[in-house]
Amino acid sequence: MSDVAASPIRRIAGSRWQALADALIPLILSLLIAAVVLALAGHNPFDVYRLLAVESFGGTRRIAATLSSATPLVLTGLATAIAFRAGAFNVGIEGCVYIGGLAAAYIGFAWTGLPAAFLIPTALLASVIVGGLWMLVPGVLKARLDVDEVVTTLMLNFIAVSLTSWLVNGPLLARGSANSATPMIAAAARLPELLPPSTLNLGFVIAVLCLVLYSLWSRRTALGLETKLAGMNPRFAVASGIDVPMLLIKMMIVSGAIGGLAGGVHALGNVHRFVAGFSPGYGFTGIAIALLGRGSATGILLAAILFGALATSGATIQLFSDVPIEIVNILQGMVMIFAVARFGWLYAGRRRA
Amino acid sequence: MEPDPTIRLGARGVTRRFGDLVANDRIDFAARRGTVHAIVGGNGAGKSTLMRILQGMDRPDEGSVLVDGEPAVFSGPAHAFAKGIGMVHQEFMLVPGLTLLENLVLAHEPVGALGSIDRKAALEAARSLEQEAGVRLDWNVAVEDAPVHVRQIVEILRLLYRGADVLILDEPTAVLAPAQVRELIALLRKLKEEGRTILFISHKLDEVLSVADAITVLRAGRVIGTTTAAETDKAKLAEMMIGEAIHMPSARPAAVSAPALELSAIAARDGRGVAKLAGIDLTVRGGEIVGVAGVAGNGQDELAGAVTGLHPVEAGRVVLCGSDMAGRSLHERRMRGLAYLSPERGTEGLCLAAPILENAIAGHQRRADLCGGGVLRANAIRKHVETLLDRYSVKRHSAGQPIGSLSGGNQQRVAIARELDGDPKLLVACQPTRGVDIRGIAFIHQCLLDFRGRGGAVLLISEELDEIITLSDRIIVLYGGRVTGEVERGAAGIETIGRMMLGEKAA
Amino acid sequence: MINDVIHSAFIMTTPVLLAALGGLLNRVGGLVNIGLDSMMLVGALLGIIVSSATGSWGLALVAAAIAGAVLGLLMSLVVTRLDANEIIVGLGFNVAVAGLVRFFLKSVYGAAGTLNLPNVVMMPRLHIPLVADIPVLGAILSGHDLLTWAAWTLVPVTAWFLSRTRLGLRLRAAGAAPQAARALGLDPLTLRDGSTVFAGLMAGLAGAYLSIGVVGIFNEGITAGRGFIALAAFYFGRNRPWLTAFGALIFGFFDAVQIRLQGRGVPAELVQTLPYIMVIVILTVVALAARRSKPKGA
Repeated sequence: MSDVAASPIRRIAGSRWQALADALIPLILSLLIAAVVLALAGHNPFDVYRLLAVESFGGTRRIAATLSSATPLVLTGLATAIAFRAGAFNVGIEGCVYIGGLAAAYIGFAWTGLPAAFLIPTALLASVIVGGLWMLVPGVLKARLDVDEVVTTLMLNFIAVSLTSWLVNGPLLARGSANSATPMIAAAARLPELLPPSTLNLGFVIAVLCLVLYSLWSRRTALGLETKLAGMNPRFAVASGIDVPMLLIKMMIVSGAIGGLAGGVHALGNVHRFVAGFSPGYGFTGIAIALLGRGSATGILLAAILFGALATSGATIQLFSDVPIEIVNILQGMVMIFAVARFGWLYAGRRRA
Repeated sequence: MEPDPTIRLGARGVTRRFGDLVANDRIDFAARRGTVHAIVGGNGAGKSTLMRILQGMDRPDEGSVLVDGEPAVFSGPAHAFAKGIGMVHQEFMLVPGLTLLENLVLAHEPVGALGSIDRKAALEAARSLEQEAGVRLDWNVAVEDAPVHVRQIVEILRLLYRGADVLILDEPTAVLAPAQVRELIALLRKLKEEGRTILFISHKLDEVLSVADAITVLRAGRVIGTTTAAETDKAKLAEMMIGEAIHMPSARPAAVSAPALELSAIAARDGRGVAKLAGIDLTVRGGEIVGVAGVAGNGQDELAGAVTGLHPVEAGRVVLCGSDMAGRSLHERRMRGLAYLSPERGTEGLCLAAPILENAIAGHQRRADLCGGGVLRANAIRKHVETLLDRYSVKRHSAGQPIGSLSGGNQQRVAIARELDGDPKLLVACQPTRGVDIRGIAFIHQCLLDFRGRGGAVLLISEELDEIITLSDRIIVLYGGRVTGEVERGAAGIETIGRMMLGEKAA
Repeated sequence: MINDVIHSAFIMTTPVLLAALGGLLNRVGGLVNIGLDSMMLVGALLGIIVSSATGSWGLALVAAAIAGAVLGLLMSLVVTRLDANEIIVGLGFNVAVAGLVRFFLKSVYGAAGTLNLPNVVMMPRLHIPLVADIPVLGAILSGHDLLTWAAWTLVPVTAWFLSRTRLGLRLRAAGAAPQAARALGLDPLTLRDGSTVFAGLMAGLAGAYLSIGVVGIFNEGITAGRGFIALAAFYFGRNRPWLTAFGALIFGFFDAVQIRLQGRGVPAELVQTLPYIMVIVILTVVALAARRSKPKGA
């Protein structure tokens, strides 16, 4: 929206402690509010939180499960953070996950008989390419015509969900299958598991590798600096001779490509095919992660692990107790809301004029 | 002390600190009813802070504001206004998208049936204010379509409409041509005779001397003295303002070389499609400073934009160091030797939230000595930036601090250091000393003259006529998007140029 | 056939129009409301619960309006008082409220996503005698409920409110230049809060329209993204009430056509993408037109 400040991420020139406090305050507030919701529903919030913690981090197997469910989130968080860094409010990563997942799954089940060393990279590359192309349109529209990317990327989410749903109900529906799903992918297309029998797989390594590259890129390269300046103050960047519209298009494509990769990794590593309702909101969780992580690689990793833990333990406790898993969505939404709020006035004496 | 009711608005011992900085240090002054009281001082003298306090937007840490001789504490601008104190801001506070009439009555609308605005009553009120002020306006124009001096008049009339009898005017003449300044002064005199009190904040001494009854001089947050127009003169005031004689650089002609910039028949429109430049021809050679004088909004922005490529041209040629720049981006122009000092330092010239270091290399980040294969050379950059900052005497804790934490003068030093880095051929310098303290002004002027001495070409666009006259080898005057005059150094005084600025052709 | 399409187009327009008018005023007041969909969802849920419990559709509307307004107030306070980015906060509300609604359904009703309550009283539809029999006109005017009439009445009222009333003028000032409004002694943040409360109220009514005006049961997907369609409508209308209503009508028409096409072998999923594609196309066309008209100008 043109009447909204350029970048959703506030870069605070404070200390590390300040940054930590900025990340913790929204978290604590969200946990408090969710605790009230739990209490109202007749659960003991402390028991629920303790159970969540134990189910997430109590033992190697559980940690592996947490990291496994954090894998797509690292990538969606990163994808969102890159767009935010360039000053684009990309809220369309959810759609990229869908079409990226379908593209990888298609290669995975259609090109059988190929070796893993060829099949996996090809399938992931396909997810990267379609994800990038999916963000090309909103990127170009924003850069060249100043069409609001919030609206276009939001709309593209709905389109991606319906489009993939049509494909898996019709042309790509598994033979003899009644539900909306593609055939299972070839065994060679599955991402190798790191700690069997857990589902933790090569995807996690790929995701962390992307984070490392992002960290180096953002701090050490000319393009990283240009992106940062363009995101913080586009007018300044333009006056410095940086081609901001082109940069915006490039970064939207990169953002979409990583969002597509998130889908590809999820399809090849966890689901092993594409089904309707493929992503439980990974793209939107990615927004919360990017905000909570304040655009830093470490921050994104930690936030993704946190939400991964919530997702995996939330599913478990729904099985063993009657706490609905939606408590995770409530927490996630609250984190988004509070991550962009400014609490400075809580401890500063006077409010800004 | 006995309250003195003839003091309509004043301050007693007003002190305001921001961290270590004492913006106002025990300020005393007293504006009497029915007078024009001027507050003068350079940048950073504490004028803006004092104005915010007088207007209820900020509160003093110590001391108090005096209203009708009595100490008063304002809860906010509304409270100050209830006591009759209103302000015309430097950046006008009219609401875009609303008409002048809507702006006039906003927040005090005459109401008819169902909460609807009684437009007839509003227009009647506007007409009677017009008579009082001796002006005539078209009230149904949208704010953004009204010329700047009309907007200023509307702001003043709005204060009267709402019942203010103390008017605080913050640098009101900055955006006006000399003739419009005289009109404004006449208007202020008229209001004074009707018994209103006017606080006139300015650093332009001629205007202050011609309009003010009493003058209070601020420097570095303190009152240096209060005097009257009769008792003082320009030289004395200047000395009080500055405190010491600052050696202002003076320019002597240098050897000129080949043209660095050639503009021919340039035409351009602004964002709303209004023609802003028509048939501009202009050449700037190496070793000369060409000043562009004119009232704001007469095509200066578009002229700078045409040279930098930030604003599209409709017709004409831009030739930079011999090559045609048609369709070339700012980046390509910079590669050809263009440098551009933006008029809006805070929003375009610098990225205030980013570190000094990044601001100092922006635009040069891919230069071979700072970057190899797309990877930044961190050590080389640090060394280069430190050298640059030292050479331009930028006061700083470290190159890593956000540039927004520097003073305006130091910010501008970083901006000019960056622009003159890497041996450009042409510098487009827009409002180079806006918001810069007097020492910084002298420094920046010297930078421009040194650059010219090295054979550089400068296109200087400024609203400070003094600055243009001091520095320029040649002055062109823009009015309505056309060149209405061109004078060589020393060939014309401020009055002649002032007439050209209002469209009167040179004799 | 054509009468049916026209009639259902107007029915599908109503929820979008209600929310879009609220969002329009909200945007004029300076806040782009991405959370409309969450307010609609809560309105739909409360509408059906209260209608079932009390047997009164009037009370149900009041409850839905209040629920939406409260949600709007909460959202506005986070944006205006905690200085938070409105887009992220809006998205956060959508995520959190969707979770909360499902959590609530599971905890209280043991229902997964769909709530089918007994004794739901639907809003009555007003059949206008004689007019109902006139082709086209009858389809447009007759057989609608109170909210549809209210929504269309509010279009000129909103236009009048913005251009002619004191509050409308102040709201415009608060949105366009909050600093200037503050300097005049107005309270732009409170004005903005007020407009968000109104947007929430309208979205709540829009939700209730879906649950007790059209469907009769509640489903977690009942809004089908109409809060976002409303957003697109007031973007399309560029803050002009009549143009916004026209935008809402286009989307309503698409919705109606889509339902027809689904029965004719056209894949439902593909047809469902049409309104969203339309939004992108329309925004692009508007931007192209704005760009083309600019250089020519006055």
